[in-house]
Amino acid sequence: MLKIVFTVITGLVGAALLHLIIILALPHFTGLDAYTGVLAKGDLNRFYGVGKRPDGSGLSDGDPFLQSAVCAFDIEDQPVRLVAGGDVPFWSLAIYDSSSNEVFSMNDRTSVDGGVDVLVASPVALTTLRKALPESLSQSILVEMPRAEGYVVLRTLSPRKSLEDAAQAFLAGATCDAFAIGATPGASSDQ
Amino acid sequence: MFRVPLYVALALIIAFGGGIATTLYALNASSGFGAIKLGAWEAFPRAQTADADPYAKSHRARAGKLLLGTAEGLKFTATQDDGGQPLRSSCRYRITGQTPPARLWTLYVADRGGNAPIARDGLPAGLNSWVIGRQPDSSFVISVAADAQSGNWLPLPGDDRAVTLALTLFDTPTAGSSGLIDLSMPQLQRIGCGHA
Repeated sequence: MLKIVFTVITGLVGAALLHLIIILALPHFTGLDAYTGVLAKGDLNRFYGVGKRPDGSGLSDGDPFLQSAVCAFDIEDQPVRLVAGGDVPFWSLAIYDSSSNEVFSMNDRTSVDGGVDVLVASPVALTTLRKALPESLSQSILVEMPRAEGYVVLRTLSPRKSLEDAAQAFLAGATCDAFAIGATPGASSDQ
Repeated sequence: MFRVPLYVALALIIAFGGGIATTLYALNASSGFGAIKLGAWEAFPRAQTADADPYAKSHRARAGKLLLGTAEGLKFTATQDDGGQPLRSSCRYRITGQTPPARLWTLYVADRGGNAPIARDGLPAGLNSWVIGRQPDSSFVISVAADAQSGNWLPLPGDDRAVTLALTLFDTPTAGSSGLIDLSMPQLQRIGCGHA
């Protein structure tokens, strides 16, 4: 009788350990997480729209008034500059690393002139940039990101149908290009 | 002679079966700890951050959703009404009150998995703070039903299935608010079911 009790206790301890291990290890290998979905959309450094229903990448956003676009990037070699502009009632962006942890988020209320102008760089690149900040970045928001791979989600709202075109134009005109440090001022960032 | 292997087998079955079953149950039950619950509405303000608990991180790794950042907004979902009954599309509900301070909010109906259901042709897919009519004290009354209602009306699918209501606040300090006791979400009351 005692043996059965010990067996059950051993089993329960094993169950608890397995539960813990699965929970802690799961994020590393599901293949269903948001970053994998963003990578499945296409190339790096390009904004792709997100539909209302899950597509091949598995991403979707069901909110009928929210339009979103995602862009995957890698700042190992070069920082990435996010630029967008337009007449929309609200926009917001969030930067996540490859584990979908939030690195930075903001909305249009805290923007300099109403448009998106954010530079995401590794700590080393940011130090280099800050020593001699190019003219073109004087109004940009500089975000430091320790990990190299990540993605951006850019969202805008169209509360009325008449505002949908402006929202689509805002997302279509958004860019997510690599930024060359040391380029001559005014050469690469005439947005 | 078979006693020892039998005990070993029993221990292993309990370990693997119990471990996997409880893990799946925990991951499907909720999005982790750290939820804000205001009446029938629940939100997870830290689910997308690095200091989310391991359950939240596992859940978001499986769900693959694009979560809202802290400065973007906060999404509240309701799967039950104020009386604790699951929301069903064959019933009629009334949402009354005010939302916490936010620049904009949207409200739409989703299925139990949180995905948007088939929008009925010619009917609004959701409501937001720009288009609803308000009472003189700036609170609002929204009727949620499959049949047309006067005033603010959020359509439900015509069949009988479990639904979720998603109310997303944009540009709101609610997520970081320490004075949670002062925040209140609208009430969600069931008016009736079927044609009662």
